[in-house]
Amino acid sequence: MNVEYAELHCLSNFSFQRGVSSARELFERAKRQGYDALAITDECSLAGIVRAWQASKDTGLPLIIGSEVQIEGGPKLVLLVENLTGYQALCQLITRARRRAEKGRYQALREDLSEGPLEGMLAIWLPGHADTDGRWLLERFRERLWLGIELHRGPDDALQLRQCLAQASRLGIPAVACGDVHMHARGRRALQDCMTAIRHHLPVAEAGCHLFPNGERHLRSREELAQLYPADLLAETLRISQRCHFQLDQLKYHYPHELVPPGHDTTSWLRKLVEDGSRWRWPDGIPEKARAQLEHELELIADLHYESYFLTVHDIVRFARERGILCQGRGSAANSSVCFVLGITELDPVRSKLLFERFLSRERNEPPDIDVDFEHDRREEVIQYVFQRYGRNRAALTAVASSYRATGALRDVAKALGLPPDQINALAGCCGRWSEHIPDDSRLREAGFDPDNPVLRRVLVLTDALIGFPRHLSQHPGGFVISEQPLDTLVPIENASMADRTVIQWDKDDLDAVGLLKVDVLALGMLSAIRRCFDLIEHYRGTRWTIATLPAEDKPTYEMISRADTVGVFQIESRAQMAMLPRLRPKTFYDLVIQVAIVRPGPIQGDMVHPYLRRRNKEEEVDYPSEELKPVFERTLGVPLFQEQVMELAIVAAEYTPDEADKLRRAMAAWKRHGSLEPHRVRLTERMLAKGYQPDFIARIFEQIKGFGSYGFPESHAASFALLTYASCWLKRHEPAAFACALINSWPMGFYNPDQILQDARRHRLEIRPVDVRHSDWDCSLEPSRQAQPAIRLGLRMVRGFREADAQRIEAARQRQPFTDIHDLCLRAELEPRAREQLADAGALRGLVGHRHRARWAVAGIEPQLPLFASLPAPEETFINLPLPSVGEDLFNDYATLGTTLGPHPLLLLRDELKARRCRSSRELSTIEHGRPVSVAGLVIGRQRPQTASGVIFVTLEDEFGMVNVVVWRDLAERQRRPLIQSQLLRVDGHLESASGVRHLIAGRLTDLTPLLTGLDVRSRDFQ
Amino acid sequence: MLWACILLPQLAMDGILRHCDDAAAPLVLLAGPPQRRVLQAVNAAARKLGLKPGQSLVAAQALTHDFATADYDPLMIERWQQFLAAWGYGYSAQVSLHYPRCLLLEVHSSLGLFGPWPRFETRLREELTDLGFRHRITLAPNPAAARVLANAHDGLAVTDTAVLHQALGVLPIERLGLPREVSTSLVRMGLRHLHQLLALPRDSLARRFPAQVLAQLDTLLGHRPLPLEFYRPPDVFDTRIELNFEVESHQALLFPLRRLTADLAAFLAGRDSGVQRFSLYLEHRTLPDSEVPVGLLSTEREPAMLFELTRGRLEHLQLPAPVLAVRLLARDLPAFTPAHQALFDERPQQNVPWEQLRERLRARLGDDAVVSLSARADHRPECAWRESSLAHTEPLPQVGLRPGWLLSTPQPLREEGLLTLAGPERIESGWWDGADARRDYYRVQTATGQQGWAFRALTGGPLLLHGWFA
Repeated sequence: MNVEYAELHCLSNFSFQRGVSSARELFERAKRQGYDALAITDECSLAGIVRAWQASKDTGLPLIIGSEVQIEGGPKLVLLVENLTGYQALCQLITRARRRAEKGRYQALREDLSEGPLEGMLAIWLPGHADTDGRWLLERFRERLWLGIELHRGPDDALQLRQCLAQASRLGIPAVACGDVHMHARGRRALQDCMTAIRHHLPVAEAGCHLFPNGERHLRSREELAQLYPADLLAETLRISQRCHFQLDQLKYHYPHELVPPGHDTTSWLRKLVEDGSRWRWPDGIPEKARAQLEHELELIADLHYESYFLTVHDIVRFARERGILCQGRGSAANSSVCFVLGITELDPVRSKLLFERFLSRERNEPPDIDVDFEHDRREEVIQYVFQRYGRNRAALTAVASSYRATGALRDVAKALGLPPDQINALAGCCGRWSEHIPDDSRLREAGFDPDNPVLRRVLVLTDALIGFPRHLSQHPGGFVISEQPLDTLVPIENASMADRTVIQWDKDDLDAVGLLKVDVLALGMLSAIRRCFDLIEHYRGTRWTIATLPAEDKPTYEMISRADTVGVFQIESRAQMAMLPRLRPKTFYDLVIQVAIVRPGPIQGDMVHPYLRRRNKEEEVDYPSEELKPVFERTLGVPLFQEQVMELAIVAAEYTPDEADKLRRAMAAWKRHGSLEPHRVRLTERMLAKGYQPDFIARIFEQIKGFGSYGFPESHAASFALLTYASCWLKRHEPAAFACALINSWPMGFYNPDQILQDARRHRLEIRPVDVRHSDWDCSLEPSRQAQPAIRLGLRMVRGFREADAQRIEAARQRQPFTDIHDLCLRAELEPRAREQLADAGALRGLVGHRHRARWAVAGIEPQLPLFASLPAPEETFINLPLPSVGEDLFNDYATLGTTLGPHPLLLLRDELKARRCRSSRELSTIEHGRPVSVAGLVIGRQRPQTASGVIFVTLEDEFGMVNVVVWRDLAERQRRPLIQSQLLRVDGHLESASGVRHLIAGRLTDLTPLLTGLDVRSRDFQ
Repeated sequence: MLWACILLPQLAMDGILRHCDDAAAPLVLLAGPPQRRVLQAVNAAARKLGLKPGQSLVAAQALTHDFATADYDPLMIERWQQFLAAWGYGYSAQVSLHYPRCLLLEVHSSLGLFGPWPRFETRLREELTDLGFRHRITLAPNPAAARVLANAHDGLAVTDTAVLHQALGVLPIERLGLPREVSTSLVRMGLRHLHQLLALPRDSLARRFPAQVLAQLDTLLGHRPLPLEFYRPPDVFDTRIELNFEVESHQALLFPLRRLTADLAAFLAGRDSGVQRFSLYLEHRTLPDSEVPVGLLSTEREPAMLFELTRGRLEHLQLPAPVLAVRLLARDLPAFTPAHQALFDERPQQNVPWEQLRERLRARLGDDAVVSLSARADHRPECAWRESSLAHTEPLPQVGLRPGWLLSTPQPLREEGLLTLAGPERIESGWWDGADARRDYYRVQTATGQQGWAFRALTGGPLLLHGWFA
């Protein structure tokens, strides 16, 4: 029997909580079943269509693009795309329906079909409705309308078929068979029931009326279909599928035109901007090397037709510059001379060792990639500018298809299967936070579950199937797609959860596949801090720095970095980075590029760190696997550290074409998602073996490729980051007061909280002055001091819970006239009781009334006054003598209200006590030899469990002199879980390990000394 | 007057532990919403494991798994308070539950009966210990002071005002029963003890703190009385009618029964409650009382109905001996929600209302003989209906024609001469409870013209009849 069939009504798992098979599963199954074509018709969405297209290309089974839409108060339709016009009409229809409703929902109205042009769109009317609907649709779609008959072995299929056929002939609409497919195979029935229950927020056992009665909604064999449907209904599917020949590669994407003024084309305008920029960057004349580089790049850009892309990014950056918003580009094309003169990056590529060709090449068919970081608290201005400049119909944010991880999947499934909340929590607790696997049996037994229990089995099996499924669309943090034509003719647009935000239905990978270009408008806290620092310096010293004008290759700065004196700077401030600095001892900018990239999970997993260090310290010969690879690996001493090097290696040693190398790069980035690295492994190995490379070298390279996949750091990104690292280090070295001040004013950001930044500042002998309503602004500020560095005056932003508006009124009132007393303050700054109490608690009133007890008494006595009597002095009250707060109380209150103290460090108060317990301080530690047993106590300010270090926990302790790094091995961590997790003040007995200036305490025993602290609020950064 | 304060610091925990076999095993009480369970109370053994009140359950489980949990139930606490108040009522006519988890007893008037205070106190402690409640006891001339002293003392007895002022003066501010934010403010001003507070000018305090602060201080010092609400024993309906002669027939019991049920109805109306369960006791000369338990499906208080029901139950009883007295005891008196009644009752006289009929049937045929049927949303036919005593409606899936009554077990059907009228209708459902059904159903007609509903499992096997169409 030879039945031909194309499935025209099929949902993928992008119909969230309805479809339970991925496009790939569907296509593979349809191919095996011998279908002629497969339509993917997700409900009012094209979010999954790019993946479907890829699956279609991989399987060779044609894809029909479509969507299932329920018209409100009307019929339900499957709309199929015949050609480009139809595709655009469908995108617009989905956009209209989605934009009308809140995020994640849609509302399609009859008018959507009455107004828009419907050419190129075919419709299948799903039955169950009145003849009037049919006549109305017939009027709209004419010969492009079918009546879909879907038989699923219901109570009486024969009767249903007869009725549908009668209706079809009565109305003169041709009938066609379709399957309402929700899953690729019957085996997904349980998952489908489960998702239905989740969608309705019910346990499966109570969701009876929502569940399908059977599992027939899968891709059935053609024989089965032939039993159910008359042959002509099946044959009709082919007539429809043969009409639908639109594919996504027919989309044409154009750049916005308004970037170019009349009289110019994109090429001449870009050249003009580059010339203007060159004069700005090099007022004394352009160096010859730079000029040649620029010419070369412009030529390449023109060849590849990427002018508009550079113009688009330039326009955004120009706006930011005009508003004084600091920004810095990164990404494959960002480190070009063109980007430097356009102001997109501050990194002069002539100064660094980087080559533009490495990032953008003629042969590689790779779109340029520029991400621009903006100050984190001002990025919204930039986003709104983009929307306003191009209009909401031409600019939108990219979506992120967030997918189920183990915890979320387990929670949803367990809830649907009716497990009680306590057990769901306990089960979810068995999964790692970002895990993509169900917990193993031993972990479950540990948590008191029986993995063989049938209920739990069901939960686990379903969870396993659900992990990795898309869950919902959310908004990308800053990826913009901008186009010349309305975006909704390329892709449907929907509402994001934030007001005034719209997102397209495709994510980053989808855009790449379809060839749409995106600009990332990202947020970076360090940029805010650097800009604030520049402002502070200008205000205090009258000099205006920019990132580009900071003195390059400054020796004292590199000396500071080599001492790992890097609290608060960009990227190299983390525990692991600090441990590496004294060993690597960066001396040049490129060393910083390496430093930023090397302490990442990729290189660590690929075991590249130690070889590099040994070679750098001349403990090991620098050698290359072959002479031809020397140019590739020379700059990293023969050790592959960057993604770009792997690509070059593929080209040089395995004879990849640049285009293939780019495919390798994509595969590297996505191998977890698609697992498609194996063909590359085979190819690389074969070709490299043929050229005489050692098998173990090849194997190692391949491990590194996998490491890059998850956490790779391309050289281009590392270079942009290293520039910010250098800038922040220079500022910390030469303007430490302004730098600390700016960091605190930009908080929350970075690795350290204001307390730790201030402790560091005090260790550098900076003067820090307390919060005081007579002097403090909202922000921390600089005040003249007798030292070379100004003093830092803490701002009212340090007072926990204090509002900025109150601070501004204080500033304004103080400028008119200094405050005479507390009554005057509360009255003129219009402070509410809450604000007054916060000031009293924080000790900010000490200049007006004295210590905290007095301040609180005074503040409580302020009575509201009518404006009429505002000028009258406050009623006199008998003076009351209140006891003085103790040092401990002040310390406690400082931490409770400011999160820091300018008084003695808590450990100083406990030092005698600790000495009696034979605990050493961090200062004493620096004089103790390697391998000696030692006991230390300190405040726990951080606990880290790096993914790369199997089960080791790094604890950072702080005392009055500095920090101590403690290593807790896994078995100890398990044995002494309680003190490890609960202690705020921790005593560690262990032995010291010291190598090239790096000191670790290897813990042998942990003791919780928290009771000594009673009441101190120390917040640690736990397991981040 | 003298007031004893009995503070029950571990009431919730003790209430549960007194029913536990092993009170030394770690136990925690949980409160809070399901997503964020918090440890409300822990026993000594649990404390040793590092568990403490306020911890989240997740945090506790991160530390250890070796502890049992129970729910912290405010209703249970209320019940124990009532229980202890009833116990205290035996020692004083003025017992108050004014403060939570605390009994106030006026003992001055009881000292004559129960001895001088130390002896009285010992007796109270012994009994409380036997009952399984940890406690602290203080004595003071006014109830507020007694309560406050119990925060810091156990066993302190103050009978004299001057001594009282001394004892109160050194109490920490936080223990004075002031609103928490007030005591926090005071402490944050450096004021630690009551005597410091009393040294301040009243007007300065009045300016800074709500009026209730000065009021509380005055109450503590005995300058101002504390209005108390006193405990009253609980309400039960317990009425007994002694008969003038020995009754040997049901008929003669009906008159007193009608009185009793009418009184019950009046009593219920008076307190706006109803009754769902009560017992009628028939007292005999030598034999133990005969008990006639009466249970209703819903709360009722209509006299005729109560009478009718009780009569129905009574008539089932074989009187073992003549009856001397009748007693009606109703302890369970829940709130009453009246059934809707139309303004114009159009019911014909002969018709019995459905509720009354239902109760009469239950009374005559037995409780288990009358059940309701309801439909369930489940694709498996055998799960789609169930017996239940409560009517519950949920939206149902659309299904085809099905028999109204299914066979309890499907039976094999001889296949010769069968005519298939419709089908197969495929049903695949129920994997979640381990009884996954995968069947093809057919509507069939036998040679005799009877229509049935039969299925064959998807895995194969005989055709099984599941029900007949009527």
